[in-house]
Amino acid sequence: MPADRSIAFRLILVITLSGTLIFSAVLGYNYYRSRLVLQNELEHNAENLAMSSVNRVETVLTSVTKVTEGVARSLESGRYSHEELLGLLRATVRENSEIFGACTAFEPLSAKARPYGPYYYKQNGQLIYDPEVSFQYLLQDWYQISRELGKTEWTEPYYGDNGANTLMATCSTPFYEISGGTRRLKGIVASDVSLDWLTGMVASIKVLKTGYAFLLSRNGTIVTHPSKEMIMNETIFSLAEARNDQGLRALGRKMIQGKSDFLPYTDINGRKSWLYYAPIPSVGWTLAVVFPEAELLAQVKKLSLTDAAMGLTGILLLAIAVVFIARSITTPLQALAGATAAIARGDFEVELPAVRSNDEVGTLTTAFQVMKSSLKEYISRLTETTAAKERIESELNIAHDIQMGLLPKTFPPFPDRHEFDLFALMEPAKEVGGDFYDFFLVDDTHLCFVIADVSGKGVPAALFMAMSMTLIKATARQGFPPDEILARVNNELSRDNDTCMFVTTFCGVLDTETGELVYANGGHNLPLHLKSGNRVSWLPKSGGLMVGAMEGISYRREQLLLEPGDRLFLYTDGVTEAMNEQEEIFSDQRLERSLSAVLGHGLRESVDGIMAHIRAFSGTAPQSDDITLMMIHYNGTKDSRR
Amino acid sequence: MDIQSCKEGMATVVSVTGRMDAITAPAFEKALNELIAAGEIRFVVELAGLDYISSAGLRSILAIAKALKVKGGLICFANVAGTVKEVFDISGFGSIFQMHGSVADSLATFG
Repeated sequence: MPADRSIAFRLILVITLSGTLIFSAVLGYNYYRSRLVLQNELEHNAENLAMSSVNRVETVLTSVTKVTEGVARSLESGRYSHEELLGLLRATVRENSEIFGACTAFEPLSAKARPYGPYYYKQNGQLIYDPEVSFQYLLQDWYQISRELGKTEWTEPYYGDNGANTLMATCSTPFYEISGGTRRLKGIVASDVSLDWLTGMVASIKVLKTGYAFLLSRNGTIVTHPSKEMIMNETIFSLAEARNDQGLRALGRKMIQGKSDFLPYTDINGRKSWLYYAPIPSVGWTLAVVFPEAELLAQVKKLSLTDAAMGLTGILLLAIAVVFIARSITTPLQALAGATAAIARGDFEVELPAVRSNDEVGTLTTAFQVMKSSLKEYISRLTETTAAKERIESELNIAHDIQMGLLPKTFPPFPDRHEFDLFALMEPAKEVGGDFYDFFLVDDTHLCFVIADVSGKGVPAALFMAMSMTLIKATARQGFPPDEILARVNNELSRDNDTCMFVTTFCGVLDTETGELVYANGGHNLPLHLKSGNRVSWLPKSGGLMVGAMEGISYRREQLLLEPGDRLFLYTDGVTEAMNEQEEIFSDQRLERSLSAVLGHGLRESVDGIMAHIRAFSGTAPQSDDITLMMIHYNGTKDSRR
Repeated sequence: MDIQSCKEGMATVVSVTGRMDAITAPAFEKALNELIAAGEIRFVVELAGLDYISSAGLRSILAIAKALKVKGGLICFANVAGTVKEVFDISGFGSIFQMHGSVADSLATFG
């Protein structure tokens, strides 16, 4: 089932499908059971119908048999004159409506004897006497069979030769002369029976609309049948032959064997039917009743159709109900979805659909209302917070600007001084950091320069930096040597320094006339001395503690003589600890190589070049610390240059 | 950064491995402050496994040293090597703290 269909569609699909399935199963089972019940009922009815018909036929035929046998017994028990015999025959025919004609055919005593077989029959309500004058009758079935078997027999049906062309059958029975313990056949009493009443009766057996009954003779000849052309012309075996139907042949055999059964049957028109057959014992014929299945099941089918129509209507109503329910669920959901989309766009004033029910949808709507108000509150709080943060950030930016403003940025700083040149560069990290540099002339011939790095970041570092820078400048201006400057500033900073902040500081004072450099190192990265002979060397370690770390510390005063053309390079740990994407640091070694690479370039180009090297090394890795570079070039005075 | 501490005689030996920077230094400071609060005032900080120390790490050490100074305690360092040794030397830590080649040497100074 496609998941992108609407809930309503899926509900309808599932419910109607399963409803139809269940209903079809019930209907199918019901149809099957009804058929079975009907079939049982049918078998019962068929048996009743056939048996009652058989009984009716049997009654008539038995009475004919009895009358015929009665005449025979009369003839055996007494002597009848010709007239008396005719009287007996006349009475027999007249008094038994079923009997068409009666005959007493005498066995000729000798081959030359005159044939004697008086015969009375009915014609148009009149009794006609027919004295038999030939021995023709001796060859007739009715005579022969009874004579040979010595008992009452019925002939196969035949068409009477009386001109009426009616179907007849004859019951014949022998009669004897008994004298002295011996029996001698005297003749045969025969009663002709018109089978019109029988065909009429069988034809009158109506089963539903198109069901019918038919009669088979002892030989399987069709005696009565709704299809007139089959009467006496076909036997059940000839039909089986014509249809090449082994089943029918077997059925025919069973029928003439005097059995009875109820079984499915395809009639001569090819209709599916049920067949019940039962024997008529006295004549050995078989009565069969055909029940057309379609008609039998018509009621069941009609009922099933009605059921199906009702079921279909029910499912349709169910589908409508489902649509209604689905709508009642999805409509508020859609409204909710719309409102949510509006909220997602930031419209917190949007109206949520009213809660109309206490169900899950109602709960969801309530939850959405809570969410909306919470979101609204949260967003407004966030807006406030963001505004506050932005304010702080802008203040931090201002602090950063002030901090940067403290640093001298005019280069060359002393354009009228030719003994030295100085260039410095600071690349601040994103946050407010703590690097700074400074330089100023203490007097006409002494340049003081400082590079420092305050521990930590942010506003505390900025404040500490400003304080340090001011203290250093103020102290240096009083003409103290660098070690003394650091010691004094250290004492100032470390007093009441609960946060243990400190600043690594390198401070130097250069005698611009002699190139004599006096410096002190308060825990700062070692500067590099670039000799005019293209040699790069690190300044020696002095072991001075960071400024501000501990009160009462003294610093070592170091000295270095700068030759004209020498340079001094100072930097902060943002340089050597700059990281690349692989988290490798720039390191002292790379710095040294970088410096060697820019030797001989101009002062500004050299510093820019080193910065470019650091940037190329870092690549896209973020800068985590301030990067500060400072380079001092000593030219010497004209005297010393000379 | 990983911190292990154990009591060795008079002193507590604290082994620090990994990196001590702005992110991890507060954990070191907190761990030692807890030990100090528990009454320990003599520490041997063993740094053979420390790969890197930033100024924030130095500040933490300094804060601990100051706290100990108030209590009359002492902190010394053992097996400081490599870049950490460089940083200790340049920052002047080497001149204000006792540094030894082994934990045993450090412990010996406490008697």
